[in-house]
Amino acid sequence: MSITTEATSLLPGYRVLDLSSSMGAFCGKLLRDLGMDVIKVEPPGGDSGRNEPPFAKGHFHREGSLRFAYLNAGKRSITLDITKEAGRKLLLELVARSDIVLETFEPGYLGKHNLGYETLVEKNNKLILVSLTGFGQDGPYANYKAPDIVGNAMGALLYISGDPTMTPCNPPETQSYYYASLFAAYGAMLSLWQRETRGIGAWIDASVQASMALHEHVAFNYSAEGRVMKRAGSQHQHNAPANLFQCKNGWIALFVTQNHWPILLKVWDGHDPALDDPKWINSNLRRANADYINAQVTSFTSRFMKEDLAELMQKNGIPGLPVNSPSDFMRDPHIQARGFFSAVTHPVLGSFLQPGNCFMVDGKRTGPSPAPLVGQHNREIFHSELGLEKSEMESLVANGII
Amino acid sequence: MSNTHEILKGVRILSFTTGYAGPYAGRLLASYGAEVIKIESRKGGLDTFRHYGQHKDIDAAPRFVECNLGVRSMAINLKHPIGTRLIKELAGKSDAVLQNFRPRVLDKLGLGDDELRRANPKLVIVKLPGFGTEGPKSSYGTWGFNLTAFSGITYLWNHPEQDRPIGSQGVYPDHLGFVMGPTLVVAALLNSRRTGRGVTVDLAQIEGTAAVLGATYLETSVNGDDPQPKGNHYGWAAPHGCYRCQGEDRWCVISVRTEDEWQNFCNVMGCTTLLNDERFINLQLRLKYRAQLDAIVQDWTQGRTAEEIMTQCQRAGVPASVVQTGADLLRDVQLRHRNYFASFEDSLIGPFEIPRSGFLFKGMTEGPLNLPNRFGSDNSQILGEILGYDKATIAQWQDEEVLT
Repeated sequence: MSITTEATSLLPGYRVLDLSSSMGAFCGKLLRDLGMDVIKVEPPGGDSGRNEPPFAKGHFHREGSLRFAYLNAGKRSITLDITKEAGRKLLLELVARSDIVLETFEPGYLGKHNLGYETLVEKNNKLILVSLTGFGQDGPYANYKAPDIVGNAMGALLYISGDPTMTPCNPPETQSYYYASLFAAYGAMLSLWQRETRGIGAWIDASVQASMALHEHVAFNYSAEGRVMKRAGSQHQHNAPANLFQCKNGWIALFVTQNHWPILLKVWDGHDPALDDPKWINSNLRRANADYINAQVTSFTSRFMKEDLAELMQKNGIPGLPVNSPSDFMRDPHIQARGFFSAVTHPVLGSFLQPGNCFMVDGKRTGPSPAPLVGQHNREIFHSELGLEKSEMESLVANGII
Repeated sequence: MSNTHEILKGVRILSFTTGYAGPYAGRLLASYGAEVIKIESRKGGLDTFRHYGQHKDIDAAPRFVECNLGVRSMAINLKHPIGTRLIKELAGKSDAVLQNFRPRVLDKLGLGDDELRRANPKLVIVKLPGFGTEGPKSSYGTWGFNLTAFSGITYLWNHPEQDRPIGSQGVYPDHLGFVMGPTLVVAALLNSRRTGRGVTVDLAQIEGTAAVLGATYLETSVNGDDPQPKGNHYGWAAPHGCYRCQGEDRWCVISVRTEDEWQNFCNVMGCTTLLNDERFINLQLRLKYRAQLDAIVQDWTQGRTAEEIMTQCQRAGVPASVVQTGADLLRDVQLRHRNYFASFEDSLIGPFEIPRSGFLFKGMTEGPLNLPNRFGSDNSQILGEILGYDKATIAQWQDEEVLT
């Protein structure tokens, strides 16, 4: 196994203009991880995502957002006011030299600035426009605002998340944005395939709500079985023991199926002989008596350290894993051996560990790159590539265009 | 108008998958027209989801149907030498292999990457093993549920006042894998189309999961912090949270970030005096006094329906919504507007509706979503028309338990 910082690019040579805010930033990152040249087009002053917590300590400024640093790793950055005519023209020049435009403006915003799909296609007839919004480009909720928590709420993941006695609990970070970005990236891939095989462009209308609403069989369960899924804490809906169990130094996640149950009893010294009754092999019965089963299992798990118990379980073929804190995860020997994290040097924040690509190509992983500073690549792109003279650039800066 | 089912037309994918992530990845490829052939065997190689539910018919488990829509089915005994030979021949006529078995299961059957690629140098292989192909714990058994725990997501997915971790009853990592998987398949196909050589892409589901916790890991590595659960609190908006509404277990969410949103929200609540309240005059202060603010908001929401709160707030430009249930999804006017649900009048599991996809292709019609083909029902067609075997040979293999 080897980790390479040399890009094992699947898709070099493609260019993406990433006009998205934090809603679509992870889509742009995935396209970058696939090897594309991703140019983040920020308004002068910087993308709003640069204001989003968490921040690096002592860096409460536009280069200090760690969310931004992660979601925009490896992209290039230019600044451009696309609402002004000179900025609009420059954007269209870049559109002509790009394959994909990614955007998360409210529906109609680009059209209002004379940059709608038809206008973009005039510049580039095979263009792929990937639009990601809370609810889609049209329909009764199209203009509704959708911060992350609204995406999780309208997609029904929030309702089933958390302890049944408490308020529904939003997942950490901004999961509805991450998740919708995955779908947007899949839409981009399909569009690219269509373009390469049939020579046509496409407009992807991705929705955060629609991406979330297929989670956990919630809609399907209701439609097929008339069952409304509810919050159930950590208890899996079909199985027991399938929950988190207390250990000496934390918790373990156990998932014990019909096949695993007899093995668990074998490993479990001193279990109540009542559990040897063959009726308990039936998962449905164990699930129906989950409170009893879970209490019994806790008497066993609480004798162990979580890591030791996980190892014992896995040795016996039972899929147990410890409940890690983020730093436990980063320290785990398996994750370290795989080189998931490696060091980057950010021009302002210094050196630190950052996740590389989450996939490997022919056994090689592309390591992480730092996020760009605001407008870091203005000169490279406007001058070297589009051929703007120094004086032209200065006048654009003076007029607040770049 | 062209049809989304034509996009991957002509792409053939062999699917060695079981459970949720792998099969659903196949479904998402089939939804856009790929010919996805799922290979299973009664000789110890059935998809585990075929046994979920009360039904004895292995084609009638609701979970299986959900995850395998549009997928063709072959029964081939991979422990029989003719079975593995047929797979290699099929690999020669296919574009990609998708698999989520534990590492080296296929290698041990003589169907490792090299063997498959000998039959087809352009073959793309995408693997979704839980802990990856390499590394000290690569043989570990994993499920979406315990991968969530291992990544740190379970630890953080909780209210700060809760005295034990909760996380989720679900399998979030599977959802991540089944969208990343097909994305990587198409990316690798584009790559092999250009280079004339197939690649192997290995997506460890644990790393796919960790990819959606990146900002948190940076808090650890840059700041040396050990981030703790925040529940519904978010450091860039206040009020921001989930509030009880009228009705049993009915909730709404509200998220107010900008000054405009704050003014509009106070207007909607009919509490314009709050605008002059010194505790709340900017976001920093609203974050500081968020407990008091939440109490005021909760007081207002509990006498109203979640639906009226969503409508009133959103009309005023304030982000808010119903916390929808499964029943709400099926009657959601926005999802209906997008023709989001594929509808099946008749199936082995009765009538049902099911979500299609997170995105639409503008200006194209949605391709059909089909039921999974019955176990083994594509054997004759595929062996006959794709590999060119005659009926007598196929019948003989049936008797010799190659095709079972």
